[in-house]
Amino acid sequence: MIFIYGILALSMNLLAGYTGLLSLCQAAFYGIGAYSTTLLMIKVGINFFPALVCGIFITSFISLFIAYPSLRLRGDYFILAAIGFQLIVFSILYNCVWLTRGPYGIPGIPRPSAFGFQFDSLPRYFLLGGFIFFLVLLFTRAILRSPFGRALKAIREDELTAGVMGKNVPALKIWAFVIGAGIASVSGALYAGYVTYIDPTSFTLDESIFIIAIVLVGGSGNLKGPIVGTFFMLILPEALRFLGLPVTIAPNVRQMIYGLLLILLMRYRPQGIAGEYRFE
Amino acid sequence: MYIMKLHNVTRAFGGLRAVDEVSIEFSSGGITGLIGPNGAGKTTLFNLISGLLKLDCGEIYFDNIRVDGLTPWEIAKLGIGRLFQDVRVFKKLSVLDNVLLAKLQHPGESPLSVLFSTRRVTNAEKENLGEAHKWVKFVGLSGKENSPAESLSFGQQKLLAIARLLAGGYKLLLLDEPSAGVNPAMIKSLLELMKKIADAGRTIIFIEHNMTVVLEIANWVFFLNEGRVISFGRPDDVLGNDEVRKAYLGV
Ligand SMILES: Nc1ncnc2c1ncn2[C@@H]1O[C@H](COP(=O)(O)OP(=O)(O)O)[C@@H](O)[C@H]1O
Ligand SMILES: [Mg+2]
Repeated sequence: MIFIYGILALSMNLLAGYTGLLSLCQAAFYGIGAYSTTLLMIKVGINFFPALVCGIFITSFISLFIAYPSLRLRGDYFILAAIGFQLIVFSILYNCVWLTRGPYGIPGIPRPSAFGFQFDSLPRYFLLGGFIFFLVLLFTRAILRSPFGRALKAIREDELTAGVMGKNVPALKIWAFVIGAGIASVSGALYAGYVTYIDPTSFTLDESIFIIAIVLVGGSGNLKGPIVGTFFMLILPEALRFLGLPVTIAPNVRQMIYGLLLILLMRYRPQGIAGEYRFE
Repeated sequence: MYIMKLHNVTRAFGGLRAVDEVSIEFSSGGITGLIGPNGAGKTTLFNLISGLLKLDCGEIYFDNIRVDGLTPWEIAKLGIGRLFQDVRVFKKLSVLDNVLLAKLQHPGESPLSVLFSTRRVTNAEKENLGEAHKWVKFVGLSGKENSPAESLSFGQQKLLAIARLLAGGYKLLLLDEPSAGVNPAMIKSLLELMKKIADAGRTIIFIEHNMTVVLEIANWVFFLNEGRVISFGRPDDVLGNDEVRKAYLGV
């Protein structure tokens, strides 16, 4: 789970931390990745790994349809368009019963296997997750340390000046968005192979907000931030479980602690625990 | 030889005609001053040229290419660079990164090239790095390469913005009040810098309030008032013009 959210945080960091795009539909791409990989495995019968790769392309392609019209407009429209897209994707996953089985979800998703080796036990899956997370980390690092990443930062700092300096701002944002969607779909595939059952409730607007919260808490604009954020946001609930709170109040206490934490961070460390960039 | 022609360029904000049927031809090379009282429409004219504002009517030609209607980045790639009145360096980025960003058509700014033609990107970036160091030195900011731009004084930020323009290789530079907010000692080196740039064959158009500066470095001057060109010519002539003196200097 920690790697799944780690990858989501990396995708969010590319958008929010580098490009300044507060994307509220990362969970939609996470979901599209999960569903497309699953359906390719179950309906077409291909192996997890090629299905994952196809899933990346499918998700990136779909993301173009929202990126192209909305990122050529000014900032606020993008936020609304992203929320709208998130809701539409959820509604499609929920209502296209013939394809997704809607609210019933898809059970019995096969575990990934490669060359006859099954990633079926927890430690084995942990290894696989870690490996894929590491690949994604290397990939984002290469992308973000390149002149492309530098141009994204320039857009985050000052879109207008970036444009006057010859940067095709909409094209760069669309690229960032499409790459971010592709990365989120990798998490989706890993999630599907991990829990072996998916339904639309894992890919809601709440989930998108949680992904943003990870990056806000950990900090963004560098690669440490999202990793620290993921540890914090995922380990914290586990740690709280050890307090032995009664089941009925534990979730509420957790929500309160998250809320308190966000407020404290905004007050004392607006750039996040390990970030270099603060949202304004 | 004209580098840029404006024909009947007009732009209104509500009922206010900020730029009103302006027709100007800018010669290639040399330094042209754009003067006029506050609110005369000088910055608006620059915004129209660099594509940040749409024209209500009129045409702009640069190097015989029609540029009105193009996006800011298309116009920049044709060779028009811009220094903003409020400088606008990328504050959180380092001095060097600011200058590295100036390169137009960098293959490394396409993610596909980053992934699939690594060699080409690395070479372009290596060359870019050499250029950037050169321009940082040229404007006298050596030693500050790794400092964030926000740590520089306002005057130094102007120098950085100019280094960025030079690194962009633009043929035409639009400078909006380069000497404003800069201390006298630095104004001097700024003017030297502008002369050096013009001597190197680039064309400069600059907006300026300080008449001493205009008289010292401008080859030609346009006087703008209420969105219209009132006078054009050699600096002495324009500043001696009765209408200009009345509108501007209140004499
Ligand atoms: N974006 C804008 N919206 C509305 N009015 C504007 C805008 N930009 C400039 N103006 C108005 O246009 C006129 C010219 O402004 P400007 O070009 O900035 O003058 P200058 O640079 O010569 O001092 C001013 O009256 C200003 O208030
Ligand atoms: Mg002005």
